[in-house]
Amino acid sequence: MHEQLWFTALLNKVLGGPVNSFLQALPPAFHPANPQEPISNSVAMEVLVVGIILLLFVLVRSRLSVERPGRMQHVAEALREMVTNQSGEIIGPHSEKFTPFLLSLFVFILIGNLIGLIPTFGSPTADTSVTLGCAVVAFIYYNAHGLKTQGPVSYLKHFMGPVWWLAPLMLPIEIISHLARVMSLTIRLYANIFAGDTVTAVFFSLVPIGVPVIFLGLHVFVSGLQAYIFMLLTTIYLSGAVAQEH
Amino acid sequence: MRKTMMYVFVVMTILLLAMPVYAQGPDAAKPAIPWGPAIAAGIGMGLAAGLCGLGQGKATASAAEAMARNPGARPGIFLFLILGLALIESLALYTLIIAFKLLG
Repeated sequence: MHEQLWFTALLNKVLGGPVNSFLQALPPAFHPANPQEPISNSVAMEVLVVGIILLLFVLVRSRLSVERPGRMQHVAEALREMVTNQSGEIIGPHSEKFTPFLLSLFVFILIGNLIGLIPTFGSPTADTSVTLGCAVVAFIYYNAHGLKTQGPVSYLKHFMGPVWWLAPLMLPIEIISHLARVMSLTIRLYANIFAGDTVTAVFFSLVPIGVPVIFLGLHVFVSGLQAYIFMLLTTIYLSGAVAQEH
Repeated sequence: MRKTMMYVFVVMTILLLAMPVYAQGPDAAKPAIPWGPAIAAGIGMGLAAGLCGLGQGKATASAAEAMARNPGARPGIFLFLILGLALIESLALYTLIIAFKLLG
């Protein structure tokens, strides 16, 4: 996305000045590459995705009813039930408190992936900054819950491994593997979505009629799957951090 | 029948509105890419894709056999299958990213 999408141009026109002053007033003064367009495409698309999600959630909330649930309520309940059942299976009991975060992650990544299929929009998740943001948030979340549930000393003792004399070996390995989780979450999501866009574009330039449909369909499937995988892996990391041997 | 065909055409219309933002013209390969990184990217990606195919094939075969032996365990096996496939796929994707970086 080298040129601006219409939504980005709109945001830059309306909010360009304030965003510029805000960025330059931060302690490490941040100078955007092009002062006319401080908001990049991915940021504008992210904002749009969050706006859409907020709108959907407000719509569902305003139409909640116990006796006659509508279609959107069914969808919302089904989503919530899927996330809660899965975290219950993987993490064990008392895992409903993780559902809001996991569900928001899933819905954000899913809608972020799918919005790239609409002609004049782009996927925010086709940019490493956005996927890195999601991965770092997930990393901080599961570590924070691990520290809170098990206490800092007991949680850090996990990094030492099963026996004390393996600690000098286990500690660097565990730290590197935890940091590699961030990298793998980032790159997996970014590469799937970016490669899907690229492959569709390549086939579009080869055979403009008919064949790209297959790749668009594949991209839809991959978007859903990757959003689910991101949420599933975050659940597994949470279970590793929070699980206590009773 | 008519309603089915109508749905099919609506879905096809939506899918056909492809986004040609990244489409390059036919002469976009004029700036010469040095041949070293190009061969490395090609061979590396081919190796990664082939071995990833082998790994995923083994995982799928095990999952299919396990499901045949114990159809009641389907949700759990499906979960492990999806997880395993995504993790193996991500290794090939790391190589893809390196290939993109090599090709500039």
